[in-house]
Amino acid sequence: MTSAVTPELILYITAIGLITIGLAGVVMSSHLFRMVLALVIAEAGANLMLVLAGYRWDAVAPILTSLAEPAAMVDPVPQALVLTAIVIGVGIQALAVSILIRIHQRYATLDRREAAERMDAEIAATLGVPRDISQEEPLGERPLPPLPADRANMRGDSP
Amino acid sequence: MSTNLVLTIALPLLGAFLLPVLMRSSVAIALWSGPAILIYGCWILAELWLSGFTQPVSIAIGGFAPPLGINLYVDSLALLFAFAVQLLGLIFWPFTLDRESARRQSLMLLLVAASSGLALSGDLFNLYVFYELAAVATFGLASASGSSAAYVATLRYLILSGIGSVLTLFGIALIYSQTGTLNLAHLAQLAPQQLNNGLGLAAFLTILIGIGVKAELFPVNTWVPEIYATASTRLSAFLAGLLSKLALLIILRLLLLIFHQPEAAQVILILGILGVISGELAAWRAKEMKRMLAFSSIGQLGMIFIAMSLPDGKGMVAVIALALHHLVVKSGLFMLAEDWGGAIQRLRGSAKASPLGAALFVLFSLSLVGMPPLPGFWAKFVLITELAGQVEPLYLLGLAVFLLATVVEASYLFRVAAILYGNPAEETLGEEIPKSQGLALLSASLFGAGLVATALLIAPVGESLQAIAAQALDIDLYIGTVSPVISGGSQ
Repeated sequence: MTSAVTPELILYITAIGLITIGLAGVVMSSHLFRMVLALVIAEAGANLMLVLAGYRWDAVAPILTSLAEPAAMVDPVPQALVLTAIVIGVGIQALAVSILIRIHQRYATLDRREAAERMDAEIAATLGVPRDISQEEPLGERPLPPLPADRANMRGDSP
Repeated sequence: MSTNLVLTIALPLLGAFLLPVLMRSSVAIALWSGPAILIYGCWILAELWLSGFTQPVSIAIGGFAPPLGINLYVDSLALLFAFAVQLLGLIFWPFTLDRESARRQSLMLLLVAASSGLALSGDLFNLYVFYELAAVATFGLASASGSSAAYVATLRYLILSGIGSVLTLFGIALIYSQTGTLNLAHLAQLAPQQLNNGLGLAAFLTILIGIGVKAELFPVNTWVPEIYATASTRLSAFLAGLLSKLALLIILRLLLLIFHQPEAAQVILILGILGVISGELAAWRAKEMKRMLAFSSIGQLGMIFIAMSLPDGKGMVAVIALALHHLVVKSGLFMLAEDWGGAIQRLRGSAKASPLGAALFVLFSLSLVGMPPLPGFWAKFVLITELAGQVEPLYLLGLAVFLLATVVEASYLFRVAAILYGNPAEETLGEEIPKSQGLALLSASLFGAGLVATALLIAPVGESLQAIAAQALDIDLYIGTVSPVISGGSQ
């Protein structure tokens, strides 16, 4: 078995790991700014993946230093693509942060659920219709009657 | 002549960045330069179309030949959508004049430039760049209404769209690591050997979900009701009518040229069916016009995805017909909704106040549901015939869902029509009945006239749609047009 842990393998795993961490962060974090940061991490992973697509360990940087027959070079196309992707990413992140500032000015909170809740309420108010679904008021009835506070953590013990 | 086509992307892009500067020196020139650019774009494309456009052309940007350089690929389908971009950009131009109008107009020009690029470009990474450009312009326009809800909705859209762009980039990296090229024609040549495997399928799925954010694909469309409820109606009409179709066009091209695996079509079919079910049911529950239209457009795009998944390009005519039909009808309905926002119940008796608006609403609804003389019937008819010809049970499930969705659609659209023509309730008599009027009604009548004209000229329109579909399906023509040199052997 020759499959030693090569640096390339480590880098591929890092790229996919960064994307996974980023996407999980977007889904799981409860703060809007953290969601933006998680997106930044995921983008770094995608960019690393793109660089790896054209990288060769036995080659030099793709710069012509003399007119003689050049040595083997790294594929320059992915590097150009990554530069473009990084610039686009930074632009979008800046835009996201500026929108975050506006949200914080208006709502004085960046909590994900609270912001979504207030947005829903505001949309419903401007449109003049009752809200479809509220996260705080479920549609159905309570599944179990409320217990007194002193017995609240005893549920499940009694037969 | 054909090099002029580059101007349909370059001029709006240039205008977008010059407009704020021009605005400082002369407001009058600045206000008219945007529409002038779009009219010129319409004229270029219309002239090309009328001067006997039959063979597709490929334009190498900057004189670099395609496998290395970036090219624009123009066939009838791309030309049609590029023309629609310029025309709808003109119709939905933000004419309102206030302190923000310079910013709004330059963002609109940016959106038009990016959309034209999406319709014409023949390079995968170039498509990604235009896609991001369109996204940024959309964020700016969506938050331009300035309400707090609009900011939150835009941020949520931005994050979802960011996930989409990460996935797209990942898919592009996979494709590049496997083939070493990003040119669509070159990829189409290499795909049968190099991308017909698990890696190719993974790349397709990530790109499908990534691009699908804009195409209102099933799991990634949560932004739709929020953005359409908070953004201006004109922007919603542009996004629902056009930008979603352009994202669809990219997925269609990738599916036709590169990814021939049956699994790819199956995934699209399943997501399409789920989109139809969720969209139509949510639209049925909606109590407000804009949200109803937003959910209904998710359902309609699901139907187009079902058509796209048919094997061997059988659904091609149906895809184009449904997409164009939805483009016209949904844009018209959104224009009507501009004055009819708010609860649907409030609209009781609006037919008396604005008979033309109500008549147009009924016309659009009938066509959307599929009443025989109207174009919507023919678009749906083509799809039903093709679906019924399939033997696989999944396609028959698609057919059943499609027919049920039509019933649901009829139910909620005619409920609104009944309210429009009903008598005003006693307690609301004192209130003002909302009227559809002015520019919005004019644009809506324009779309209505287009719909009626298509219904009258259905035979020639059908024939030209078939010609367009045949041309788009011809992969060898695509490869031969873009790179005649390498079409013989490998690289």
